[in-house]
Amino acid sequence: MMTLKEIIVILKAEVVTGADKLNMKIQIGCAADLMSDILAFSSPGALLLTGLTNPQVIRTAEMIDIKAICFVRAKKPDNTITTMADDLNMVLLRTDLPMFESCGRLYKEGIVSIDNLGIDKNGRE
Amino acid sequence: MKLEAIVEKMNMKVVSGSSQLDREVTGGYASDLMSDVIANSKEGDLWVTLQIHQNIVAVAQLKELSGIIIVNNRNIEVETLKKAKEVGLPIMVTELPAFEIIGKLYELGVDR
Amino acid sequence: MAENKKYTKTQELTYELRVKDVMNRTVVAVSPKTTINELREIFRDNRISGTPVEDKGKLIGIISIEDVINCLSEGEMDAIVADKMSTNVEVLRPDEPLVHAVSKFNKSGFGRFPVIERDGGKLAGVITKGDIIKGILEKLEIHYHEEEIQRHRASYIFDDIVADQTTLSFQYNIKSKDFNRAGESSSQLKKALNCLGIQPDLVRRSAIAAYEAEMNIVVFADGGRLSAAVQTSQIKLTASDSGPGIPDIEKAMQPGYSTAPDWVQELGFGAGMGLMNIKNCTDKMDIQSEIGKGTHITAIIYLNNKK
Repeated sequence: MMTLKEIIVILKAEVVTGADKLNMKIQIGCAADLMSDILAFSSPGALLLTGLTNPQVIRTAEMIDIKAICFVRAKKPDNTITTMADDLNMVLLRTDLPMFESCGRLYKEGIVSIDNLGIDKNGRE
Repeated sequence: MKLEAIVEKMNMKVVSGSSQLDREVTGGYASDLMSDVIANSKEGDLWVTLQIHQNIVAVAQLKELSGIIIVNNRNIEVETLKKAKEVGLPIMVTELPAFEIIGKLYELGVDR
Repeated sequence: MAENKKYTKTQELTYELRVKDVMNRTVVAVSPKTTINELREIFRDNRISGTPVEDKGKLIGIISIEDVINCLSEGEMDAIVADKMSTNVEVLRPDEPLVHAVSKFNKSGFGRFPVIERDGGKLAGVITKGDIIKGILEKLEIHYHEEEIQRHRASYIFDDIVADQTTLSFQYNIKSKDFNRAGESSSQLKKALNCLGIQPDLVRRSAIAAYEAEMNIVVFADGGRLSAAVQTSQIKLTASDSGPGIPDIEKAMQPGYSTAPDWVQELGFGAGMGLMNIKNCTDKMDIQSEIGKGTHITAIIYLNNKK
């Protein structure tokens, strides 16, 4: 469990939007570029790491109650995405690190995936 | 680090290329976007993805990746498996989600 | 008017809340033999400005930063607490309503009161004006939050309308190939279900199913419709289009099977998980499809018993 503030340091990330919500606590991480995977396997309140920057990322996060997203691989989300995220009270971060390095660093610092929590995974067989 | 050592520690199912596990893993790359892997992965990388389409074999060959790990226990397509066996490309399947298998690989020392 | 109402609410809370609800339980009590110099450090280290004095588990006085300042100006920093404390100690009981504490503060002008158990006279905590304000604010926040939820709930619609069967239905038109706006319908649907006060995990499952169905329509068909029919017992989602139809439904249901063009994959969909996701998120699912005519998906989520 750590705050987004700590995550920003670990990932050398910058805040795209939602700077007022950086005290949000994060325990779970999920990483994917395919939204269906996130819809199928993620859990509410997770930090979503993705290299996709299109409106569907925000929509996907909205559906599954994810409030914080970090874009990896030096991607920069555009205004449409930021506005959508603002409307939904989400925090958007971005980092130049690739996906692999981002996940590795967070895992090392204690962020887990849903498997470790024994939570019933939505939609998992 | 040898792919063999990673497979042993990670409890993954090797579904193809089991004779090629002496390959050297020099880094890791995680992506589900083919174009991104083509553009940014490096030779010797172990590729973590949930893609199971036969294109992954071609991409891995093109970029000379050391192997592919399929996450979330996805059932690999028959065509993909056939192609991977033809070219001797190691594909492993794990039931872990991408975030966790990457974390564990990173802990083992696979990083860039 | 709103201000007036809040004022009354605050008064109400001073009767409703007890001293024990707001007091500080971690008390740094000092012994009467402590020197003022030591006391100064205790105050500084604990960031407090006063504390009870205890001797053999019994409260014998109270000492504050003011006493320390007096000693400092008189050059009496080596004096002991016993000689400088106020012995005329007024105390509060844990079960007293806050309003007693408020009036005691007003009358006495003291900054803090020790809180003493009725049985045994043990020191239970210390209460300051700050603790009272914090306690009331916290309580107000909880009340406010509950009111907010209440206001946003329309779930009583089903209780208010008397009928053998009540169905609330909403329908959304989905545009084809409009990838930027794709998902808006599911977003609105999700908000509507939240409004109805449906359990969050069921709303989430409905939203995922609706979203995958909506994406299918956007990607494959020339537009279509998404609708939800909500009853007390279930949500029925329907997604229909007049698109190309699915040639082999059984095959389409297989995880990983996809006919989506590459550009869809690059946008994060079309990995052959959509229909599976709908099936896994709902309790009952049915697909009807005819080549050249269109596809019709219905999915049901039961509201009473969990899947």
